Amino acid sequence: MAFEILQPGLFTTIQDLGRLGYADRGRTNSGAMDEYAYRWAQKLLGNQNSNALEVMSGLKLKVTETRQIAVTGADLTFTINGRHVPIWQIHTVQAGDILFFQRRVSGQRAYLAVRGGFNAQKVYGSYATTLKEGIGSRLQKSDSLGSESFSLTKYGTKVTDSYIPTYSDNVTLRVLLSYQENSFREEEKIKFFSSEYEVTPQSNRMGYRLRGTPIVPTSDRLISEGIALGSIQVPKDGQPIILLKERQTIGGYPKIGTVLPIDCFRLAQIPIGGKVRFEPMSIEEGQAKMRLFYKMFS
Amino acid sequence: MIIRTVSVDCSMVYFDSVISEEVLNQVQTAYHALKNLPGMIDLTPSYNSILIHYDLMHYDYQSIQASVKKHLEALQEGAEKAEGKRIIIPTEYCGIDLDKVAQTNHLSVEEVIALHTQTLYRVYAIGFMVGFAYLANVPPQIATPRLRTPRTQVPRGSVAIADNQTAIYPQDSAGGWNIIGHTAFDNFDRFAIGDWVQFVRV
Repeated sequence: MAFEILQPGLFTTIQDLGRLGYADRGRTNSGAMDEYAYRWAQKLLGNQNSNALEVMSGLKLKVTETRQIAVTGADLTFTINGRHVPIWQIHTVQAGDILFFQRRVSGQRAYLAVRGGFNAQKVYGSYATTLKEGIGSRLQKSDSLGSESFSLTKYGTKVTDSYIPTYSDNVTLRVLLSYQENSFREEEKIKFFSSEYEVTPQSNRMGYRLRGTPIVPTSDRLISEGIALGSIQVPKDGQPIILLKERQTIGGYPKIGTVLPIDCFRLAQIPIGGKVRFEPMSIEEGQAKMRLFYKMFS
Repeated sequence: MIIRTVSVDCSMVYFDSVISEEVLNQVQTAYHALKNLPGMIDLTPSYNSILIHYDLMHYDYQSIQASVKKHLEALQEGAEKAEGKRIIIPTEYCGIDLDKVAQTNHLSVEEVIALHTQTLYRVYAIGFMVGFAYLANVPPQIATPRLRTPRTQVPRGSVAIADNQTAIYPQDSAGGWNIIGHTAFDNFDRFAIGDWVQFVRV
């Protein structure tokens, strides 16, 4: 054992890069909502095929053995023994230390990773907690989390400033028009790209439901088909829903296109009430951006 | 068959825009063939399409289309058909909506059960939740529209009908299908697109 949960926080789960390869059985991908922050935490620690806690505010842990941790993502006023410490870097923590994600300042989700990963069981090849499939559970008070002890190293301790994102409460998402884009007339597309949408409280790991200028498709149902990450589904009421890591595998609502995965990760850091805009992007640009992203972490 | 780009790392193979056993057979055969292509991350087959999530380090949006097209065209000539498993579902016909399904269709309960069990169904899609297989075609005599207001709680193992499809709820969930029975079957990960399913009365 290495950590004891004193306060579970709003919604703390173990995540990884998702449960891939089971969509044909109706199993959702799940996994870290913000892969950018998640991957940095793992890169700092030199972890591979590992896991981390996805943290919204309120999580408090007690360290019971010396470990190296990395914290990235949202600024949730991370403190060690009551002292505010910088994130996007490694910390060596000792038995008795109290780690606390006190309150949200910016962003939504932080990642807490430990060198070597938390001891957990892989289910269908992944550590990702998926409550609706009965896989894993949210952390509870008094839970304990184990991790193996590793020799402490001193390299790669901090993310360079220019790679640390600033989280604001609004974001512009790059969109590839695709899927049923032909079910949206030109004036609907213009409305879509020129309007500002608000993140509603019905937003979660499955998807972000937006509210704003309705965009109306010419048909409202189609034969159910596979749903890619970032799909922008538009039901009858014209309010877009952006489908994220815990989305259903298939669905029958028209989709105007898909949000670039990197921008889905940014969206996961936008709070309820935050503002979202869209801009069109070409497939060439999107693929180049994603390749750079993967290369950075390879 | 057409192949379209849907996201930066997903393409979709679309077959004819109808729900039919002929199209299902095409989807099933193509799905099994695509599993052998390198660089596949996830495949999501459904009634008349297959979503392909591919590795961007392996393909770009043009080369994935070319590879998939070549692979599937070679297949059509070889005409090697996927078979699919046969899955038996022991069912107790005791559902809360069984009487209603009988009355709506002017049949006796026994006739509903006979019609439901004598049909060999195919898996047309899996989704809504993990392991929820959409089975068709329900004989037209017992096809019944979904409830106007979905129930907030449908127990795991419920056997149900909606329009011309039937299904088993793999978990407790909300749902608007007509519940006609219950099964102890719980191996929902077995279902694959195109499999053959038969309900047997216990």
